Amino acid sequence: MTALTAPPNPPTEPVAEPAAAGRTKPPGRGVRAGRTLHGGRLSYLILAVALLFSAFPFYWTIVAASRSNADLAKVPPSLLPGPNLIGNFEAVLEQADIGKALLNSLIVSGSITVGTVLCSTLAGFAFAKLRFRGRGMLLALTIGTMMIPPQLGVIPLFMLIAELQWVNQLQSVILPGLVSAFGVFFMRQYLVQSLPDELIEAARVDGASYARIFWSIVVPIARPGMAVLGMLTFMAAWNDFFWPIIALSSQNPTVQVALRQLGGGYVHDQSVIMAGTLLGTLPVLLVFGLLGRQIVGGIMQGAVKG
Amino acid sequence: MTLTGTAEAGAAKAPPVPPPGRAGGRASAARRAWRTFSPYAYLAPFFTLFAAFGLFPLLYTAYVSLYRVELQTPGDLQWRGFGNYASIFGDEFFWTALRNTFTIGVLSTVPQLAMALGLAHLLNYKLRGRTFIRTAMLLPYATSVAAATLVFAQLFGRDFGLINYVLGLVGISPVDWQTGTVASQIAVSSIVIWRWTGYNALIYLAGMQSIPSELYEAAEVDGASRWRQFVHVTLPGLRPTIVFTVVVSTIGATQLFGEPLLFEGSISGGISHQYQTLGLYMYEQGWGFFHLGRAAAIAWVMFVVIVLLVGVNALLARRRSRKEAGR
Amino acid sequence: MPIARAAGRTAVRLGAVVLCGALLAACGSGSSGGTSDSAGGKVTLTVDLFGSFGYKEAGLYDEYQKLHPEITVKQSDTEDEADYWKSLQTRLAGGGGLADVQGVEVGRIASVTQQQSDKFEDLKQYGADKLKDKFAEAKWSAAVTQDGRVLGLGTDVGPEAMCYRTDLFKAAGLPTDRAELAEKWSTWDGYLALGKEYKKKAPAKSAWLDSVGSLYSIMIGQEKERYYDGSGKLIYENNPAVKEAWNASVAAADAGLSAKLDQWSPQWNQAFAAGSFATMPCPAWMLSYIKGQAGKGGSGKWDIAKLPGGAGNWGGSYLSVPRAAQHKKEAYALIEWLTAPEQQAKLFRDQGIFPSSTGAIEEVADAEDPYFSDAPTGQIFGDAAKEAPVQVLGVHDQNVAQQITNALSEVERKGISSDKAWSNAKKGVDNVIG
Repeated sequence: MTALTAPPNPPTEPVAEPAAAGRTKPPGRGVRAGRTLHGGRLSYLILAVALLFSAFPFYWTIVAASRSNADLAKVPPSLLPGPNLIGNFEAVLEQADIGKALLNSLIVSGSITVGTVLCSTLAGFAFAKLRFRGRGMLLALTIGTMMIPPQLGVIPLFMLIAELQWVNQLQSVILPGLVSAFGVFFMRQYLVQSLPDELIEAARVDGASYARIFWSIVVPIARPGMAVLGMLTFMAAWNDFFWPIIALSSQNPTVQVALRQLGGGYVHDQSVIMAGTLLGTLPVLLVFGLLGRQIVGGIMQGAVKG
Repeated sequence: MTLTGTAEAGAAKAPPVPPPGRAGGRASAARRAWRTFSPYAYLAPFFTLFAAFGLFPLLYTAYVSLYRVELQTPGDLQWRGFGNYASIFGDEFFWTALRNTFTIGVLSTVPQLAMALGLAHLLNYKLRGRTFIRTAMLLPYATSVAAATLVFAQLFGRDFGLINYVLGLVGISPVDWQTGTVASQIAVSSIVIWRWTGYNALIYLAGMQSIPSELYEAAEVDGASRWRQFVHVTLPGLRPTIVFTVVVSTIGATQLFGEPLLFEGSISGGISHQYQTLGLYMYEQGWGFFHLGRAAAIAWVMFVVIVLLVGVNALLARRRSRKEAGR
Repeated sequence: MPIARAAGRTAVRLGAVVLCGALLAACGSGSSGGTSDSAGGKVTLTVDLFGSFGYKEAGLYDEYQKLHPEITVKQSDTEDEADYWKSLQTRLAGGGGLADVQGVEVGRIASVTQQQSDKFEDLKQYGADKLKDKFAEAKWSAAVTQDGRVLGLGTDVGPEAMCYRTDLFKAAGLPTDRAELAEKWSTWDGYLALGKEYKKKAPAKSAWLDSVGSLYSIMIGQEKERYYDGSGKLIYENNPAVKEAWNASVAAADAGLSAKLDQWSPQWNQAFAAGSFATMPCPAWMLSYIKGQAGKGGSGKWDIAKLPGGAGNWGGSYLSVPRAAQHKKEAYALIEWLTAPEQQAKLFRDQGIFPSSTGAIEEVADAEDPYFSDAPTGQIFGDAAKEAPVQVLGVHDQNVAQQITNALSEVERKGISSDKAWSNAKKGVDNVIG
């Protein structure tokens, strides 16, 4: 993350400016906060309540997933985890094929992540550092469609995959998932500020081709940005809902499709449904536990740039 | 479509295969050609996919919306002119969905952004374990719509839900969170609020950190209270960020879909369509009733709604800042 | 020539990048596309169903696999038929993800024979014609197209009765004897009157019936003409039979007799064990559903009596083989076996799924169900099946029924007026058909 926050060159575009400013911790503010102890305690209290609200649904999922259907229909409800967690896991694995869904989600999200990061870095580099005819127009087109929800294109997309007989096949979800105008824009912004023009100029004088420049200069410098984009893309792909429930089915589901199936009465037992929800969420939580810091940094970074 | 079509066809035709191991003179010509075309080669992977799965579907939606197309026979298009649009505008449930989208949008966006702003303000203090707090705040964002909604649907259960139980403890009689228009919309909105507040707080925090600290110091010298500093330094400094989050949330609210769908598993958004959003209305027409042409028309109406809302946002933002500048 | 070499390498790399996405996609689909397949002559047949057909529970797949060791049967199912149908239509349109055997509800069979006959196998080519005499005439002909193709084999029919909780009846001081109750509620008015009596002395949090939607559905099942007439014209709006069932349902809602639990909702499922309702109109296939939801604890607490207002039929299904199925011949062999009289009889004795095969109906006439206080299910449902009218089917039967029950649920849950709800139902139907 440190590499992200320290571009070697002064930013060449105004967009990058807030990021540069955000990097330095404003010392005056820290002092201000530290000085007022009273407000500080209240801040902690409010934050603690906020965290409780954030975390409670997770806790409740565990509670519900570890009990039985009958327990959940009891008044008063039990607030502590019960003994049925493993049994419910087994039930949902058997009844809803969550295992296959997890594997499919891994394949889909992994492919989308790799493909998107590669495509975005290639295109982002071209937009950031290369001159060519139609650059402005193509960039405007890319940014313009960033605001348009993908939902609006699903009908032709469905007709397309129906024509190709791709319904229920993973590529019907992967290929459209590779199109990320945000990714291109993100990598462009990243490279505009962190890739010095002189480096490219020098390499060009040496007679290196653009492609060589890309692999031996651009990619090493872009790597931290690619990592952030990769994490954000993976999470978005894992959680994508609208298109997968149209393109896939319970015969070949991703986790989200399987969860929709669970919610639609595929399984009658509420505690088993919660067990499925828990299983489907665990992988992202795991990624989040390991890379939470980086994801937080990435979102804040992306926010300032986007 | 045609514009990018040609641009990208050109890119595709530029073959990145210069003859390997030829004489020096030829190499230099190849190099020149390579220089001209290689930018397009970089763009080719993205724009090929973009054209096929991004741009084409969007434009083709407009075309399809003028035809009668049924899901069972997606290859069979019958000209309908503006018939699909007419039948949407004549459908009471379309207007219900439009209204719901708006009210749920307000119910979810306003509290969410207000709370996010407050939390960001607190997070901007020097805090113990702030990385932990920030990460924990973002956890709901990492949860999928489907997972979050299934859990909330359980919590909001009418007869056996935890929320009604807690309300019962303080003497409030059980609320039918599924049936009542206001109650169900609050319930659906609460899922959105839960998932996005932490995310927006971090975005505001990033914006706050980019406000130069000299501004605060100057305000402090002037004897401004912390509240006045917040109002007169933080908020104006955050304006671009706030506009950004409002725009993003507005777009998000307009296409809200998973939460209302999974709340009861009903594609109608409840028995009286009481929390059916435009996104869900489109899904119901397309994949519930199998009228793809009509669903395409709804998609275009949604597109126009989004463009209008974003336009209004931009206009308001610009007028505000002009007013401030004039002061 | 360093440059040329570099360029050459670049070309390879770029090509690799361009292909990367496509390759990944291909790998992805290759490793997990749809149905798993044969290894060493073994065939995995996929069966995709809705609701509860009971095959797995009755051990019929196990038995079939023993008879045919080279076959493995894998079943998936969706509880709500409406969800199932949506998904099936999407897959039929897109040609992917279809199972070897797909279930079709009787309310959809007209849509299959009239609109989608090219998407299902004509079972005659596998020798289905010789089975014609084994099925009830109406059941068989509903799955035959105008030009004589056979698109499905009948599984069950849904003769109707009334299920009730003897423990709750006792607690409210009502009689629990089947014959006595059948007499008391020989008409629907009698049923509602008894409900009002129940309500006065009922245990806490317990209503007379689960939802007025199920009341409507069971009542309309007693009619010959429902939503279409014999010529295929949509007549539901002016059909007095529809109106009558509607009015009775509204009356039940107004009298507060319903627990307001939409059928197939999670709340409805949870309520079985909690005892939230005392009666439930039950077609034969509902028995296994009740057993599943109420669990072991419900055994002996339930009983079954003759339906008020005469015999009727609600639902019943077919098994079909899609054109896009992978193992059509094997699939046909399986459904022929599953729908044969012996298996249908076994299914009824075990799961309460009532046979559509004439031979099986005779065979199970003496069946009783211990879970339902040893009710003579063979006789109750057998009589109902014999007396039930042969229904006129239409393309949108299921959709119309769904809009109407949805509107009724507005009446009972939101308290909106009957007229408003009816106009909502009509709008919904127009929307679906439009």
